[in-house]
Amino acid sequence: MLGNVVRVAAVAASGGGGRLGSSAAGAMLTSRTFLKRTRAGAVVKVVREHYLRDDIPCGAAACRLCGARPVGAGLEARPAGAGSHLCPGPHYLLPDTNLLLHQIDILEDPVIKNVIVLQTVLQEVRNRSAPVYKRVRDMIANPEKHFYSFTNEHHRETYIEQEQGENSNDRNDRAIRVAVKWYNEHLKKMKNEENIQVIFLTNDRNNKEKALEEGITAYTCEEYIKSLMANPDLVDRLACISDEGKEIESGKIFFPEHLPLSKLQQGIKSGIYLQGTYRASRDNYLEATVWVHGDAEENKEIIIQGLKHLNRAVHEDIVAVELLAKDEWVAPSSVVLQDDSQNEDDIENEEEKENILKASVNKNMLRPTGKVVGIIKRNWRPFCGMLSKSQIKEARRHLFTPADRRIPRIRIETRQADTLEGQRIIVAIDGWPRNSRYPNGHFVKNLGNAGDKETETEVLLLEHDVPHQPFSQAVLSFLPKMPWSITEKDMKYREDLRQLCVCSVDPPGCTDIDDALHCRELENGNLEVGVHIADVSHFIRPGNALDEESAKRGTTVYLCEKRIDMVPELLSSNLCSLRSNVDRLAFSCIWEMNHKAEILKTRFTKSVINSKASLTYAEAQMRIDSAGMNDDVTTSLRGLNKLAKILKKKRIDNGETNSMVEEFMLLANISVAQKIYDEFSEFALLRKHPAPPPSNYDILVKAAKSKNLEIKTDSAKALAESLDKAESPAFPYLNTLLRILTTRCMMQAVYFCSGMDNDFHHYGLASPIYTHFTSPIRRYADIIVHRLLAVAIGADSTYPELTDKHKLADLCKNLNYRHKMAQYAQRASVAFHTQLFFKTKGEVNEDAYILFVRKNAIVVLIPKYGLEGTVFFEEKDKTKPRLDYNSEVPSLTVEDTTFRIFDKVKVNIMLDASNIQHQKIRMVLVEPKIPGKDVPANPTTEASVSNEPEKKKKKLQK
Amino acid sequence: MASVVLSEAEKLYIVHGVQEDLRVDGRGCEDYRCAEVETDVVSNTSGSARAKLGHTDILVGVKAEMGTPKLEKPDEGYLEFFVDCSANATPEFEGRGGEELGTEISNTLYRIFSSESCVDLKSLCINPREHCWVLYVDVLLLECGGNLFDAISIAVKAALFNTRIPKVRVLEDEEGSKEIELSDDPYDCIRLNVDEVPCVVTLSKIGYRHVVDATLQEEACSLASLLISVTSKGALTCMKKVGKGSLDPESIFEMMETGKRVGKSLHTSLQKILDEEESLGTTRQKVGFLG
Repeated sequence: MLGNVVRVAAVAASGGGGRLGSSAAGAMLTSRTFLKRTRAGAVVKVVREHYLRDDIPCGAAACRLCGARPVGAGLEARPAGAGSHLCPGPHYLLPDTNLLLHQIDILEDPVIKNVIVLQTVLQEVRNRSAPVYKRVRDMIANPEKHFYSFTNEHHRETYIEQEQGENSNDRNDRAIRVAVKWYNEHLKKMKNEENIQVIFLTNDRNNKEKALEEGITAYTCEEYIKSLMANPDLVDRLACISDEGKEIESGKIFFPEHLPLSKLQQGIKSGIYLQGTYRASRDNYLEATVWVHGDAEENKEIIIQGLKHLNRAVHEDIVAVELLAKDEWVAPSSVVLQDDSQNEDDIENEEEKENILKASVNKNMLRPTGKVVGIIKRNWRPFCGMLSKSQIKEARRHLFTPADRRIPRIRIETRQADTLEGQRIIVAIDGWPRNSRYPNGHFVKNLGNAGDKETETEVLLLEHDVPHQPFSQAVLSFLPKMPWSITEKDMKYREDLRQLCVCSVDPPGCTDIDDALHCRELENGNLEVGVHIADVSHFIRPGNALDEESAKRGTTVYLCEKRIDMVPELLSSNLCSLRSNVDRLAFSCIWEMNHKAEILKTRFTKSVINSKASLTYAEAQMRIDSAGMNDDVTTSLRGLNKLAKILKKKRIDNGETNSMVEEFMLLANISVAQKIYDEFSEFALLRKHPAPPPSNYDILVKAAKSKNLEIKTDSAKALAESLDKAESPAFPYLNTLLRILTTRCMMQAVYFCSGMDNDFHHYGLASPIYTHFTSPIRRYADIIVHRLLAVAIGADSTYPELTDKHKLADLCKNLNYRHKMAQYAQRASVAFHTQLFFKTKGEVNEDAYILFVRKNAIVVLIPKYGLEGTVFFEEKDKTKPRLDYNSEVPSLTVEDTTFRIFDKVKVNIMLDASNIQHQKIRMVLVEPKIPGKDVPANPTTEASVSNEPEKKKKKLQK
Repeated sequence: MASVVLSEAEKLYIVHGVQEDLRVDGRGCEDYRCAEVETDVVSNTSGSARAKLGHTDILVGVKAEMGTPKLEKPDEGYLEFFVDCSANATPEFEGRGGEELGTEISNTLYRIFSSESCVDLKSLCINPREHCWVLYVDVLLLECGGNLFDAISIAVKAALFNTRIPKVRVLEDEEGSKEIELSDDPYDCIRLNVDEVPCVVTLSKIGYRHVVDATLQEEACSLASLLISVTSKGALTCMKKVGKGSLDPESIFEMMETGKRVGKSLHTSLQKILDEEESLGTTRQKVGFLG
C-alpha cells in the first residue's frame, strides 16, 4: 500500500463488470435518450427505458422460424402481388414514412396487399398526421389487406441507436433500411421454393440511393405503381408531389414564397404577422377574409384581395398574414367573380380582373387589408366535385372544379377523363407549387353520376362532414348479444315499473321511440306523471369504440328519405326503442303534481317499463276525444293532456308554445338540468340559448312598422305577446311572415359545460336552465346527461372524463359542430329534393311574399311550397336596370317599381340546370311587371301541385 | 455528522499509531483509502458520478438548464450546488437533521469553485445577458464513513468531467429577435474542461502529526482539521479550518505542503481512471447501484 499513495479505481473498468451485464437478458434492456425543448423554452433530457425482444414474429404466414404467431391476418404465404413487371416474383412492400403520408390513397386500393408497416414509420406518421395514422391503423386491422405492423424498434436485431453526427430523420431512415435488410435475410432462411422479396418503397432520392448501395431493392412509388401491368388506372391516384428541383425548371413563378414556420412564429410573437383562419369568399375567387385568432379588438377581420396576396391559401387553412399599409387598404367588393378561365397561365387576365375589384370603392368602406405570408396549418380534406375536361384531346392533365365554391380548382392527372366526365368525384390536394396557378391533386374516388339521388346524397354528406360510413366491426362488437333479455344484474339499481300504464306518442312510422309517458291518480288525490326515456347509456359504456363512434357522430342526421344513425340500428330501432308490449330499460323522471300542474315532488330512477301502446299523434287525439273509450291508456292520456294544457298556459305567460308530449319533455329536461347542475355545478352538460342583441330585431320592427304594427322586443314575453296581437284582417298571412322573420333574428342554441360558462339562460324556452335528456338515441348530449344523472342518483359509476370540464367543453364543441352541420346537410337535402320536384314539374308561376329586401335583389317566400328564393334584378349580359336601395325603410326601387317587405308578388319558378354541379331553383319576377325586363312566357299558371316537396321531418321511416 | 463513540484507550491507540505513521487500517499518514469512481450512473442527468471512499459513498448529478446570466457577469454561466444528506447515510439526517451539514458543504463548494480558473464559465454562456447554461450540481450523501469533503470533491470533478451540455444555436433574424435552436443529434454537445477543477484534501491533526483521508474513528480523535482545495498543478485555491481545536501556523504550512503533494497525485490518478473509463465508450458495462 505504501508507495502507491492514491489509488482511484473506476469500478466498471476494474473487472467488477459482468455481475449484471453479460447475460442475454442484460442486452435486452437499453435506454433511449433524447433532448427536447419544452414550451417554456427549457431544454430537457428525456430518458426512456427501452426493452428489446427476440420473439417478435416477422408476420409472414409461411415463416416457421418465428415462434409466435402474429395477431391478425399477417402477410400472405404466397403473395400473388399485383403483377409488377419490375419485380415479377412474390414480394412484400415496405413503404417509408413520407410515402405512407402522401400516397395513402393508393395504398388503400384493394390491389395493394402484403405491406409491412414498420413501427418507426407508424410512429412518425402518428406524429405528423392523425387522420392518415387512423387510416393506416384501419388498413392494418383489415384482414383483406394483409398489412402487417412490425415492431422493429423492439426487435433485437433491427433496433439501432442514433449514431454520432446523425439526426433523428437519418436514424429513422437507417432503421428502416436495417429492417428491410433483416427481412430479406430472414425470408431467405425460410427455404421456400420461391424466395419472397421485400421491396422498399421510398420517394426520397437519397434514401433510395443508400438502400440500393446496401443491396436493397428499392423503387419510388411512381416506378412501382406504373409497373403494375393489370392496373393502369392506379396511376391516377398517385399524389403528384413535385420534386423541389422540378419547380425551378418551368420558369414562371406566380406566387411569393411562403415563410418558414419558425419565422412565422417569431413574427406572430412580435406582432408583425397575425395568425387567423382563412375563409375564401363564396362569390369571388379573388377575395378572402382572415379571421384573426385571439381577443384583439382591432383588426379582427382582414381582407385579402388578389391572387398574389391570397398566396395559395385554401379555405379553412390557418395562415399568417401581414397587414398592408393603410393606403393600400381595400373595401370588400360586392362583385361576383368566378374562376372560369381555361388557360391556366393567363396571368394578365387575372390582373385585369383584380382591377375590376379595385374600381370605384367608397372611402368609408375601406377595411384592414393584408396578404398571406405563410401557412401555419393546412386544412385540406378530400373535396367533392366534378372534372372540367381539358379541351385538348388526349390530354392527361385536367382541372377539377370542387362543389364548394370556396375551394380553388385543382389540377389532376388522369387517363380516364372520358369516364369521369359528368361524374361526381373526390380529389385530394397534394401541394401547391409557386409556379402553378392551381394546386396539384390526385383522383381519389368516383361517387357516381351527377344528379343521381344516391350520388348527390353522398356528396352532401361528405361536404357537410357527416360521418356516414357503416359502423365498423370494432363498434359493433360492443353491442349486446342477441337474443337479449333483462338479467338480475340489470335490475340491481332499477325499479320495476312494468305494471304502469305507459304509452308513447310519436309521428307515424317512427322506429326510434326514445320517450314514453304515463299518468295516474295517486291515493292522496294528486297525480303522478312519468316521463320514461330509453336507457341508452346502459348499452353504451364510456370509452369503448361504440361510445367513441357515437360521440364523434354526435347526432342522428335526418335527410329526405334517409337517416344516418348515431348508434347502430340494433340499439336505435330495437333494444333502445320503447316499443309497445316488450320489456325495455328506461331512465324515468317521475313527478307528483297536483291538479294545478304544480310539481310537488320530483324523482329520477332507472327502471324497466313495458309500454302498453305506441300511438301516433292522431290516434292519441282520437282516444282523448272519443267519450266511449275509458281504458287505462286513454285515462292516462287524458290526464296528461289536461296537465299539458295547464303547463302550456303557464309557459305561454313566459313565451313559446308546444304540443302535449313536448310539454312533458321540456319539463323533464328542465328538471334534469336542475338536478345535474345541483349535483355537479362544474361538470353539468347544459344547453343555452343566448338572447339576441336588440339590434337583431331592427329589421323585424321596421317591417312591422311598415304595416302599422308594433313589435316589442324588450323581453321574450313582450315579443310573444306583441306577435300574438300582430294580426291584420286584410292580410291573414302576415302573422306567419312576422313569426318567420322573428326566428331569423334569433341566435343559435348551444351545448356548454356549466363549469366553463356563467350564462345559462335559454331564451327561446324562457327557462333559466335547460339541457337535453329526452332523446339519447339520436343525440349524444343526452347520453352524457344520462350518465351524469345516473351518477347523481347512485345508479351508475362515474369515470374520469365525465368530471373533466375541459374534456366536456371539447365534447360540446364537437356536438355543436355536428348539430350545425347536420342542419346544413338537412337543408341541402331539402334543396336537392326541391330541385328534383321542379325538374319533373317544369316551370310554374306562384304567389310569393317578400321576406327581405337586398341591394340588388329581393328574397321571397312561396307559402305554397314553403320555399324561399332570391329574385335578382341584374342579369348577365343584359342592361342593368336602375336600382335604388333605401336602407331606412328598407325598400328597393327598380326602375319605377318599389318593393317593400311583405309585398305580395308573383314569381316564375324553374330549375336552372345550366351548371350541372350547382343546379338551383331560379325565380323570376312575373308581377308586378318591370319595364324593360323580360317576363318568361307564361307556362302552366297555377298548376295544381299535389305532391308537395317534403318539408323537414324530424322523424321518418328509414 | 455521523459520529462514533470511542473510549479514551481507543483514542490513545489511534493517536499513538499515527505518531508512528501506522494507522489502524494499515495505511501511512499520507495514504488514501481505495477509492472507487464510476461516471454516467444516472442516465437522465447531463453528467453524473458516484464515488466511494472507504465507507463514504457519494452520488453527484449535474443537470444543465438554461437560465439568465447573473447581472454582474453577463457573459458567463454559473454553477449551483445543492447537497442532500440522505437519511440513508445516518439516522441523524432524518427530517431536517442533515440541513445544517448540507448547507455547510454547499457553501464550501461555492467557495472552492469561486476561483475563476476552475471552470471556464464563459463557455457556458449562450448569448450574453439573455441565456446561459446553469449547471445544477446535486450532491447526495449515501453513506458517511469519514472524509466527506474529499469524497464529494472527487465525485463532483468526475461528474463535471462526464457532463455533456447540448449544443444550441442562437438564430437571429433581421428584427433582432433571437430564437434558440437545439441540435437534433444527441452526440452534438459540449464538454467541460475539468483540468483546473480542484479537489479537496482534508488534513486532520492527530496528536503531533496530520493524516489525510481520516476515517470516522480518526476524525473522532482529531480536534482540528485543515481543508484545502488543490488543483492538478498543485495550486491552492481555498483553505478552511474545521473543528474546535486550534492549529499553530507552523503546522499549517506543513499541512499545506502535504496537501499539495497528495492533491497532485490524487488528481493524476483520478484523471487517469476517468480517461480510461472514457476510452471504453459505449461498450463499457455499467455497474451502477447493483455493484
